[in-house]
Amino acid sequence: MKIFQVALGILAAIGGFVDIGDLVFNMAAGATFGYQLLWVIVIGVVGIIVYSEMCGRVAAVSEKAVFDAVRERVGFGGGLVTLVAAQVVNLMTLAAEVGGLAICMRLLSGLPYRWLILVAIVALGVVVWVVSFDWIERIFGYGGLCLLVFAVAAVKLHPDWGAVAHGFVPHLETEDTLLYAYFAVGLLGAAMTPYEVYFYSSGGVEEGWTPKDLGLNKANAIIGYGLGGFLSFALMIVGGTLFLAQGIEPETLGTIALGAQVPLGQIGLLLALIGILFAVGGASIDTLFAGAYNLAQYLGWEWGRYRTPAGAPRFTLTWMILLVLALGVVMSGVDPVQLTEYAVIFSVVALPLTYLPILLVANDRSYMGRYVNGRVANVLGIAYFVLILVISLTAIPLMILTNVGQG
Amino acid sequence: MSEELDIALAILDHQLIDCEGRRCGNVDDLAIEGGAGEEAQVVAILSGPGVWRNRAGVLGRFAAWVGRGGRVRVPWEEVAEVASHVRLNKRAADYGLGSGDDRLRPWIERIPGANR
Repeated sequence: MKIFQVALGILAAIGGFVDIGDLVFNMAAGATFGYQLLWVIVIGVVGIIVYSEMCGRVAAVSEKAVFDAVRERVGFGGGLVTLVAAQVVNLMTLAAEVGGLAICMRLLSGLPYRWLILVAIVALGVVVWVVSFDWIERIFGYGGLCLLVFAVAAVKLHPDWGAVAHGFVPHLETEDTLLYAYFAVGLLGAAMTPYEVYFYSSGGVEEGWTPKDLGLNKANAIIGYGLGGFLSFALMIVGGTLFLAQGIEPETLGTIALGAQVPLGQIGLLLALIGILFAVGGASIDTLFAGAYNLAQYLGWEWGRYRTPAGAPRFTLTWMILLVLALGVVMSGVDPVQLTEYAVIFSVVALPLTYLPILLVANDRSYMGRYVNGRVANVLGIAYFVLILVISLTAIPLMILTNVGQG
Repeated sequence: MSEELDIALAILDHQLIDCEGRRCGNVDDLAIEGGAGEEAQVVAILSGPGVWRNRAGVLGRFAAWVGRGGRVRVPWEEVAEVASHVRLNKRAADYGLGSGDDRLRPWIERIPGANR
């Protein structure tokens, strides 16, 4: 029975890994550089595994979620700066996901976009209010599995597998080094989106994880995110096989779905859209809660998605306000795909502020006892922290120099 | 509670939990007494937006202004345990902690299903 539950959790994690940032960046990177950047996905996925495992372990051993650790380690002032940065990025991400949700609903129904934004917001609010969190995870996780259609599409498009394999070896075969670097940074940012660790660690605390659950934590992180990365490969291979050859820039979600329609027909398109709908819908809910978790943890309020809304009033009010703010942002007419690019790049800038406190707490014997970071976790943790620091310093200059990836 | 602790790391900015396990604010500051030559001693935990203005310059003053400045003083004798959280002897309301949640709750409860 336990194995069965773990399997279900992992299935949900695969469906939940891909969000609008992954969809946009993986497909666009494929369309621009073919398979050349596949190796960057591997680096990004290992990074999110390393830090999620660390966050989950900190949650299980010390009952602290990310923003508890941030507040304790960086203090009130530094914590406040981190909080503001995290919340701005989080709101951008939420708005991008909601916009993506509305576009997807438009492609499925043909109704006007602006109305569907409103429908999407109301639907998210109702789902979060009415449906229990276990079911939210299942519904959106399993629905997101429809994205596996892109794996089938990738095979059906008969890519040059030798070239695909070569893509996993770090190399550079382009004149446009800046654009290549911009996409590499974007892919890393999309894989290591900070809301994932906020959400994951808070979930661990809420589910009352103890050191007994550390095996489960490791399995969830490695298999769930690992297989999620597999979907990212598929997206990039489709982008590289289909769009690069024809010189198409996938600038809309519709073009991304086309990636499944061309090799598989109407059923491919339908599965792709349903997959995107659930993956982006699930990511909207994760992002929404991540924002409420962060504020509540920083300020010491009661919080929790397994509580009744009245059991954590300020937490509830916070996610309601975030939903309304996201509505405002999307309604302003900003293009969700563009907003996604900005959200991913800005999230890269905020990443070190999130990961440093986690690294510090995971190394603190007074909390962690014998569960402090081992050598592997520390070597990887520190290597990734340095990498994150470097890409956070280069992200915005690269965005400006490449005109947001337009070359 | 009399054992020695690195108070900056082990207490400051930690989560306050009341006797029923409710999260009810953070340790925003500590009141310390002891004149020159005497041993300094923590006499109380301070919590609430009113304390923030002393914590982070302009940013802290702004945060305190947004939070409308209330503060709560919890005598150190009320601390039951310092572990990963700081646990208090009585209920949050007995100290005036968590009042923001308590004031907001009736409004949230007006929405059907808020206590499901």
